[in-house]
Amino acid sequence: MNQIFKLKISEAKLLRDMANAISILIDEATFKIDEEGLKLRAMDPSRVAMIDFEWPKTIFEEYECVSPSKICINISELLKLLRRAGKSEAVNLSLDEKTGQLQIVVTGKYKRSFTMPTLEAVEEEVPTPKIDFNVKAKTTTQGLSQAIDDAQLVSDHVRIEADSDKLLFIASGDLMGAKITLQKGSETLLDLETKEASKATFSLSYLSEIIKAASATSEIATLEFSTDMPIRIDFQQAKQGKLIFFLAPRIETD
Amino acid sequence: MVDDDKFTVLKNPSLQEAKTIIEKSFLNKTTLVVAGNCKVIYDGRASSKLDFGERLIIVKRDRAILVHRSKGYEPVNWQPSGCILHVKIIKNSIQISAIRHNPREMLKVIFNKIFMLSTLLLDDSADFTLFASEKDMHQAILIKPSLVEKGLKPISYEKKVTPGFIDVYGVDKNGKLVIIEVKRKNAGKEAVLQLANYIKAIETKANRDIRGIIVAPNISKGVQRLLMSLNLEFIALDPRLCAKVLKKTENAKLETYFYKKN
Repeated sequence: MNQIFKLKISEAKLLRDMANAISILIDEATFKIDEEGLKLRAMDPSRVAMIDFEWPKTIFEEYECVSPSKICINISELLKLLRRAGKSEAVNLSLDEKTGQLQIVVTGKYKRSFTMPTLEAVEEEVPTPKIDFNVKAKTTTQGLSQAIDDAQLVSDHVRIEADSDKLLFIASGDLMGAKITLQKGSETLLDLETKEASKATFSLSYLSEIIKAASATSEIATLEFSTDMPIRIDFQQAKQGKLIFFLAPRIETD
Repeated sequence: MVDDDKFTVLKNPSLQEAKTIIEKSFLNKTTLVVAGNCKVIYDGRASSKLDFGERLIIVKRDRAILVHRSKGYEPVNWQPSGCILHVKIIKNSIQISAIRHNPREMLKVIFNKIFMLSTLLLDDSADFTLFASEKDMHQAILIKPSLVEKGLKPISYEKKVTPGFIDVYGVDKNGKLVIIEVKRKNAGKEAVLQLANYIKAIETKANRDIRGIIVAPNISKGVQRLLMSLNLEFIALDPRLCAKVLKKTENAKLETYFYKKN
C-alpha cells in the first residue's frame, strides 16, 4: 500500500482538542502537509474569522511524509471518530494514495481502524491580515473565558479596550450592561503592552466559541488589537505548535 | 413587438429571434426577462436538475441570473453577479448558460418555448434606505430615552400584561411609572384605547402614579380629544431619527484587512 503520509500521535486528546478548535470555524479543512509538518490556514464561510494552525513534526511521535500534499477532510466527521478514542490512546493517521482514503487507527486497549474519504482540496491561499497592533495582552485562557462568559450575560457583542494598565471588556445590552476589568500584573492579565489606547468591538458568539475550544489546547493566550481592527489571538502551544485566530471587528453600517 | 432604446418586448418569439435579442442584451448589459417553458441544470459545488416547467428567468445587468418558479419569493436556482453568459440554439430549444470560474459552477437554462422576452435599460441610482421598524423604535428609546423625554429611565420592554405587551415600560424623573405605546405611523384611536387598557391592567398592581404616552410620528385628527379625556399624552417621534440612533453594526470581513490599511 502506497502511503502519502504516516503520522502517529501518542495522545488522542491532543488531536481531538485541536480538531475541535478547528471545527469551530471550518467544516471542510484543507491541510498542507510536507516534511516540516502539518499546516492549515482558512477563513470561516462568512469570512469574518480565520484560523492559522501549524503542528511541526516534533509534535508527533512518528512522522513520515513522502511527498508534500494537500488533504481536505470533513473535520466534524473526523471529530466523531476521535471522540471514540480514550484520552491517552495513540492515533495513527495515514493517507492511501490509490483510494484517497484517510485511515485512522486508534490503539489502546484494543485496536480500531476507521477510514474516511478525503475531499477535493481548496486551492485558495489565504493571506493573514496586515495590521499594526497597538495593544498586546497576555492572559490566562481561563480568565479570558470567564470574562467572555460575563459579557455574554448581557449582550451578543463586546467592546475590548486597553490603556497602559488595564484591559476592559465592556458589553451593553438593551437594558443591562457589564464591565470586566483585568488589571495589568493580576493573576489573569499576565502582561500588557500598550502603544496607544485602543478599542474594538467583536461578536461574542465567535469569541466565545473560539476561546472555549482553543482553551482546551492552551493555558495562555496573547491578544493583539488596535482600534476598529481585527483581533489576533495566539493560543500558546507546546513544542512550537501554532494556533492563532483572527476575528474581524463589528463595524457601524449606515 | 415594441422596440426602442429603453426596452424591447417580444411575444412568442421564434428561437432565432430570441437568440438574437438575448445576445444583444448580454452584449449591451441590459436587464433581460424571459418567461417560458424550461428545464434547469446546475453543476458546481452541488448539482441539481429541474425538469421542464413554466418559469421566469431574470438576467441582471451585472450578470447575476435568477430562475423563479411561479411561487415563493426565492429563486429556485441562481448565480451571483459576474457570470459569463452564453446563448445557443440546440435542436428545437434555446440554451442560456451562466458560468462562474471560482468556484467552478455552471447553470444551464434550456427553453423549448418562450412566451415572452423583454430587455430593459433600467436607470436606478437611488440609495436604499431602510427606515426603522416599530421594534427599532423601541430599541432606540431604550438606548436613548431622551427621545421621549428627559429623565426617563426604561425598566423593561415588550412586557406582558393581560391584554397584550407593553412596548416600553419605565420611570420618569418624578418617579412616576411610564407606559409607552409606540406606533410607526399615525397613532389612531385603537392605539389610544390599547394604551388605556394597559394602564387599567397595571393600575391594580402598581401603587404609584402612572403616565401613559403614545409615541408616534403623529396622531390622527380627532384622537387628541380622546387622548386628553383619558389623561394620556402624545409625544412625536420620527422613525428616521430612531434609525439614526440605532447605528447598526455588523461583522466586518477579514479580507478588508489583508492589505495594510492603518
